[in-house]
Amino acid sequence: MVAMDIISVSIIYVAAFAILLIGYLAAISSKDVIRLLISLEMMFGAIFMALIPLFSVAHLANTAFGIALVTIFASSGELLILICAITILDRQKKDIHTSAITIGGDEL
Amino acid sequence: MLLLSALAGIAVVFALGVLLSKDNFYSALYMAATLVFVATVYAFFNLQPVFVLILFVFVGAIGIVTVALAATYRSDPERQVSRLWAVPVAITAFFVSIAIATYCYSALNLQPVSSSAIEFELMNFIPLTEYMLIVVFLISLMVLLLLSVLKMSVGGRS
Repeated sequence: MVAMDIISVSIIYVAAFAILLIGYLAAISSKDVIRLLISLEMMFGAIFMALIPLFSVAHLANTAFGIALVTIFASSGELLILICAITILDRQKKDIHTSAITIGGDEL
Repeated sequence: MLLLSALAGIAVVFALGVLLSKDNFYSALYMAATLVFVATVYAFFNLQPVFVLILFVFVGAIGIVTVALAATYRSDPERQVSRLWAVPVAITAFFVSIAIATYCYSALNLQPVSSSAIEFELMNFIPLTEYMLIVVFLISLMVLLLLSVLKMSVGGRS
């Protein structure tokens, strides 16, 4: 467990929210999928930062470590999938701009 | 308090660099720096296991792949700032770093951290059965992710 006062918690939450907002803005303004990938990683970074105050609660410290562990590996897996999708998109369309993606979803 | 504010502020400034840079390569580098400073906040609170995990898995693996991908698909943006600005920026960075170093070593009187000071207090954070369950869960997740990649690549080929 880590000792944390309310000002430290506020600083962490403000910074996490700012990074998350910047990630959203980067995702909205992205014109290619590489920048989209970068903005997603920024958002995950903001989530990791928002997890820190959980470690200050005595009976939640171990749970917070478990959550952080699962979040790190799950988000890394998601980003690996996105990286694979980018390479496949480039192979199919010869273009990585978001304008090349015209439709979403999949057929069963 | 001041050190935490500085770490969080530097992370936000690097995040702003991602948004403002038009070159994907530099954006990826700024993103990696942001994540390093987010991990450093964990180290600041003596949560070294999470710091190592973020640094090795998220920054070391995924971040480097992203930087490599951004360097591969790099386009040359038009330069908006003159190269001459590098001189005042370097001078300012030099004086700021000198000021920070002086503050750290004189006002706070920080001692270098020895390796024995790092204690992994969260080693046995869950029982063995639940630990095995999490391992099985993560392996299942990775298998599902690999299957989806396989489906994407086979679907793309057909």
